Amino acid sequence: MISLRGVQLDRRTREEFDDDVKSRVIGLLTGRARRARRKTVLAGVDLEIAAGEKVALIGPNGAGKSTILKVICGVLTPTAGVAEVRGRVAPLLELGAGFNPELSVVDNVALYGVLLGLDRRTIDARLEAILQFAELEEYRRYPVRALSSGMAARLGFAIATDADADILLVDEALSVGDESFRAKSRRRIDALWHAHRTVVIVSHDLALVRSMCEKVVWMDHGRIVAVGPPGEIVDRYVRAVDQAAVTALLRAVDV
Amino acid sequence: MQARRRAGRERRGVVARRAPLIDERLRDVVGVLFAQNVKIRYRGSILGIVWSALSPLGMAAVYTAIFGPTFARYYGGSHLLYGAAVYIGLVLIGFFIAATSECTTVLVQNGGLLNKVRIPFEAFPLAAVSAHAFQLLAGSIPLLLVLSVVMNRDPWHALLLAVPFAALIMLAAGVGLMTSAAGVFFRDTPHLYELATFLLWVTTPVFYPAAIVPARLAHFLIINPLYAIVQTSRDLVLTAAIPPPWMFGLSLGEGALVLVGGIAAFRAMRTRFMDHV
Repeated sequence: MISLRGVQLDRRTREEFDDDVKSRVIGLLTGRARRARRKTVLAGVDLEIAAGEKVALIGPNGAGKSTILKVICGVLTPTAGVAEVRGRVAPLLELGAGFNPELSVVDNVALYGVLLGLDRRTIDARLEAILQFAELEEYRRYPVRALSSGMAARLGFAIATDADADILLVDEALSVGDESFRAKSRRRIDALWHAHRTVVIVSHDLALVRSMCEKVVWMDHGRIVAVGPPGEIVDRYVRAVDQAAVTALLRAVDV
Repeated sequence: MQARRRAGRERRGVVARRAPLIDERLRDVVGVLFAQNVKIRYRGSILGIVWSALSPLGMAAVYTAIFGPTFARYYGGSHLLYGAAVYIGLVLIGFFIAATSECTTVLVQNGGLLNKVRIPFEAFPLAAVSAHAFQLLAGSIPLLLVLSVVMNRDPWHALLLAVPFAALIMLAAGVGLMTSAAGVFFRDTPHLYELATFLLWVTTPVFYPAAIVPARLAHFLIINPLYAIVQTSRDLVLTAAIPPPWMFGLSLGEGALVLVGGIAAFRAMRTRFMDHV
C-alpha cells in the first residue's frame, strides 16, 4: 500500500558551484553569498496505490516520474506532505548498477542483494536459485568484469526479482539478455505481476503500459495531470503530445 | 516462524525513521562493503597484507638512518628502540590518516547508488574505517606482539595494547563520519583535509621524541588525541613500565568523545545529504 498525500519535494538546483569551502569563504568576504536556490520538483502529489495494483507513470522527461519512485523507496524524503509506504520495497536498479566489477559473481550477489534491501541470511540461502535463474552457475568464481554485459544484466535481474518484496519499482527497460532469457524474464515479471505484488513502473513504452497496467498516472512538471484507466489516460496523453508537436511545427513554419 | 520474522521486519520498516544505534540493516550493509574493500585491496592474497605491513617498516628504517644518530639518545642510545618507536607511530598515524582521508570521498563517490537505493549513509564511512582497521590489525599486531614480548617479556603489556587500539579505531570512526559529511557539502574537503593531516602529522611525536617539544607547547600536544594513543602504545611495547591509568583513560575518553560527536554531527546533517550527492 502506497499513499502519497500532498507530497511536495524541493531540491537544491545544481547550477551554482559554490559547494566548496574556498568559494564559500570568498562569497562571505565579498558579501555575495547567496542561499542555494531550490526548485520544486514535485508539487501537491496525491496518489493512492492499493496493494497488488499495477501502476504506470507516464509523461515527458523531467516530469518527476523517477522522483516519485525515489520518494516511494525512501531515497528522498518529501519536503512537505506525507509518504506512507507499507510493505518491503525492492527498487529495480538499472541492471548492474551497484555491481563491483572486480568481485566474483558470488560476492556480487551478496553485495547487490544487501544494497537492494535483503538481509544477509536470505541472500545466502537464495544464492543457488539466483545463479541458476541467471544461468551463471559455472561463472560463480569469475569476476563480474569477465562477464558479458548481457550476463551481468541477467544477474542483476535475477537478484532484483528474487527479492521477496511486496512492492516492485521499475524504472524503464524491462527486457534484458538474449531472446531465450528475455522470454524467461518476461515470465518472471508476469509471475510477479500476478502474485499480488504492487508494481510501479516508469515507462515510455505506451503499448506495454496499455496492455499490462491497471492504472496510469500522467505527470508533467512535477504535478499529476490525470490518473485513470490506461486506455483513457494514454489516449489523452498521446493526443496532448501530438497537439504540442503540431503547435511547435506551425510555429516553426510561421517563422 | 517465517511469518513472525516477516512481521518483525515490516514493523521495523515502519519505525525505520528513528533507527536504533546499530540496526541489522546497517550491520549487513557495512559487512558487504567491508568485504568488498578488503577483497579488492588484497585480491584474495596473503601477500597483499604482508606487503602493507612492510611499507611502514621500510619508512621506519629510513627515519632511523637519518634521525637515529640525533634522537637515539632519548631511547637509551639504542637505534633499534628508536626505530621501533618510529614504526609504532607510523603504523598508528598512518591508519588514522588513510582511513579518515578515504572517508572524505566515499559518499560522493557512491552518490549514484545513494540516489537509487535507500542505504544508511553511515555505512560507507564505517566500512572504509573498518577495512583500514582490518589492515592495521592484520599488518601490525603480529609484529607488535613479538616486539612486546622480546622487549619486556610480559604478555600483559601485549594484552593491554587492545586499549589504545580500541581508542584509535573509535577516534578514526568518529573523525571519518565527520570528514565524510564534510566531503558531501564541500568538494574541496580532500585538499583541505590534507592540510589538516599534515598538521596532525607534525604535532604527533612520530619520528621525534616527545621530550624535545618545548614545555610551553607540550601542554597543547595533549589536545591531539593521537598523542596519548601513540605514547601509550609505545610504552606498552617498548618499556617494562605500564603507563599510568590516566593515559589509558585519556585515550579511551577522547576516542569515545570523538565517536559520539561524529555520530551526532552525522545524524544532524544526514537529512541534507541527498541534495548534494
